Amino acid sequence: MKKILALTLACSLSLGLLAGCGGGGGTDDSAADPSAAQSASTGTTTQAESGTLTVSLASSPSKLDPIHYTGTYEGQIIGQVCDRLIEYNDDLDTYVPSLATSWEISEDGSTYVFQIRQGVHFQDGQYSQGREMTAEDVAWSLNRSAQYSDNARLSMLDNAEVTGEWEVTCTLKSPNAAFLTALTDAGNSIIAQEEVEGWGDDFGYHLTGTGAFIMEDFQLDEQAILVANEDYWLGVPNVKKLVFRFISDPTQTANALLAGEINLATQLSGEAINTVDQAGGDISLMKVEALQINYVRFNMQNGPTADPLVRQALIQAVDLDAVRAALYQYGEVEAACLPLPYSSWGYDESLESLALPYDLEAAKEKLAQSSYPDGFEVDIYVSNTQERTTLCTLLQAYWSQLGVTTNIHSNEWGTFSDMAASGNADIYAMSWTWYPDPYFFLNNLFSSSQTSSNGNGALYINDEVDAALQAAVETTDQEERAAYYSEVMRHAMEDYTGIYYAVPYNCYGINSRVQDFTPRADGTLRFIVSDGEQIVRNTSVA
Amino acid sequence: MLKTILKRVLQCIPTLFIVVTFTFILTRAIPGNPARTLLGPQASAEDIAAMEVRLGLDQPVWKQYIDYMGDVIQGDFGTSYMYNQPVVELIGQRIGPTLQITLTSLVIALIIGVAVGMFSALHQYSAFDYVFMVLALVGVSMPIFWLGMMLVNFFSVNLGLLPVSGRGDIALGLWDVISHMILPCLCLCTIPMATFARITRSSMLEVIRSDSIKALRARGISERNVIFKHALKNALPPIITVLGLQLASCFTGAILTENIFSWPGLGTMIVNGINNRDYMLIQGMVLFFAMIFVVINLIVDLAYMVINPRVSYEGGGA
Repeated sequence: MKKILALTLACSLSLGLLAGCGGGGGTDDSAADPSAAQSASTGTTTQAESGTLTVSLASSPSKLDPIHYTGTYEGQIIGQVCDRLIEYNDDLDTYVPSLATSWEISEDGSTYVFQIRQGVHFQDGQYSQGREMTAEDVAWSLNRSAQYSDNARLSMLDNAEVTGEWEVTCTLKSPNAAFLTALTDAGNSIIAQEEVEGWGDDFGYHLTGTGAFIMEDFQLDEQAILVANEDYWLGVPNVKKLVFRFISDPTQTANALLAGEINLATQLSGEAINTVDQAGGDISLMKVEALQINYVRFNMQNGPTADPLVRQALIQAVDLDAVRAALYQYGEVEAACLPLPYSSWGYDESLESLALPYDLEAAKEKLAQSSYPDGFEVDIYVSNTQERTTLCTLLQAYWSQLGVTTNIHSNEWGTFSDMAASGNADIYAMSWTWYPDPYFFLNNLFSSSQTSSNGNGALYINDEVDAALQAAVETTDQEERAAYYSEVMRHAMEDYTGIYYAVPYNCYGINSRVQDFTPRADGTLRFIVSDGEQIVRNTSVA
Repeated sequence: MLKTILKRVLQCIPTLFIVVTFTFILTRAIPGNPARTLLGPQASAEDIAAMEVRLGLDQPVWKQYIDYMGDVIQGDFGTSYMYNQPVVELIGQRIGPTLQITLTSLVIALIIGVAVGMFSALHQYSAFDYVFMVLALVGVSMPIFWLGMMLVNFFSVNLGLLPVSGRGDIALGLWDVISHMILPCLCLCTIPMATFARITRSSMLEVIRSDSIKALRARGISERNVIFKHALKNALPPIITVLGLQLASCFTGAILTENIFSWPGLGTMIVNGINNRDYMLIQGMVLFFAMIFVVINLIVDLAYMVINPRVSYEGGGA
């Protein structure tokens, strides 16, 4: 009797647990289309359903409300479900109309007038049944972001107001040419007010917008299932079902691609790049130079590195070619010189000569002339990734030749970022990634207003740089702006602010069944792209 | 029995109070600002200050502690910073997937481990005994992370038999769920299985050499009855102690296993919580794990009393 009871209990427990599988409790139509979902969720079926694109994300999104999102992986999903007023093209060098059909900028650069696209409908939600998007929605969404965005993604906006049936006028706090770039951010997506107010804090879990894909099911830490928006204003996406699977380990991401569980692997790194590259068959590696710069920054105000001669010595003592060869064995980076990635329009080749070459003798000479001729002890801080830790070990070895003792502090990101922003780190190594507009790199890395943040925790303060940065946002002429940013970089290099050593590639593993996918330097995933009027690229899965 | 349970439950309260207090102090002691971690490197000082106000981190630590304790007493573990959901709700969502692999692994480990241990004990110094015990040693020493990767490489990438990661969906059939469970469970059950095999073997050896077993054999009772009805029962207490410990270690093992296989359970969540300095989530999870450990200990003690009525925890006498 006891045995029967125990067996019954065990069976009911197992069944109870199994019944909970699949989580989410959403409206997954996999029951209606089991073959498609089978292919998306297991590796046992070798070929996924035609039209189903399964993409890996390295981190699990948790905040999908545009004003609360903080990670790029969250932006990837918001970017599919919602649209913005304007977008970048695939090359990230031109703004393309999206929900705005055109825009005009006032002479002083502080007012932007947008003409809003007509005939665009929101996806069906709990509180709005596919109604037409209006100019009021645009103004409301932008004002919401300007006031409440956790990451201040539209902080330059003072007010957006409806100035015509299909016209919205945005007034900035002060002229800021980076405004258009900011509008391309997923955080500044256009959403329906009644949905946000109806769902309250849960809006992110029930995200709706005007985008190419509709969120059908979101399972925290597991997957997000999106389906094509058949009423999308631009046209119907070829990808009928878009599944984002969350796999944190790059090796597992590569394995999932090889096993056929996913057909697009994102954010590949290290050995996983090699695994995908060597896989052959249907699998291939795609890479594009990222809008990212890896660097080592010196404290400009405190400690031995406050002395420019010390900084010069530290830079010249490091053989960067050897460092890159040791750190990146799979061709995952390009050598860098300046504090801006090549794919930003502000990059200025003429400044490359300012990067000090490797010269140990010259480094020793510089140190001998400095206030620390007999060497010194410094602390270097990094996040505890394999790459950064190895970098520190190499720097330690190079600098020891100058008589410099380097103490390595390798902590996980939370601890590291706090230290890097504190202004107390002698030296720290990290990377910076953002939009193609140089403002988002140079303003953060070198403005004296950013000294309490990760960008300029090295405490670089230079009035001329501040003036150039300010001037660069007050004009909308790109050439003029590029000249100001060039000046900023010249100062940063001449003041020996750091070692800018690598521009990484965004590496993707892709199955040949996925057609018309173009990787972008900013890492955003776009599967249906227009020139403002018609579709120029529509990804499909054979 | 009821009195014992009540007494033990009351004894747990100070333990849990200390756990909450220590966890609170430790989370505040580790460097790293939750607001900065949450917002990422591009956040400005103003963004971080605003987020600190939103999360209540601008309040003095003693006030945060008093507020938190007040909420915990009412069963409210706070709201996760990163998930923006009540911690209790999050634990409720994740406990199912974690139990799914931990309990399955433990049952598999227990059945196979005890069987192997008994077989080895009954065939001491045989080739089987040597092979099983060497395998058990290997099993105990195997790093879960490495084992997980090897299993995936072999079964998923090379043979294409099992999925690499994920939890599967019951809507797609039982096999979809089972196929997703095989590798995580294999990974998770290796160490407990080896431990059960070793402890069962030594415990059984001790029992079958005892005078009572010899007496039973002398009375002509069948070997089958001697082993399964008497020897095994007497060998059970150490196995049950280990069972309690292994259940606890399965939960901690699940933290690694879930991360390898992107299994959406408590393990994945606590790692995300720690990485993001989600104080509320860390505190809530630690308190929850502490409760589990306390309950497991209680069950183990009660199981002793059921197996061997001479054991008593009430007066210290046996």
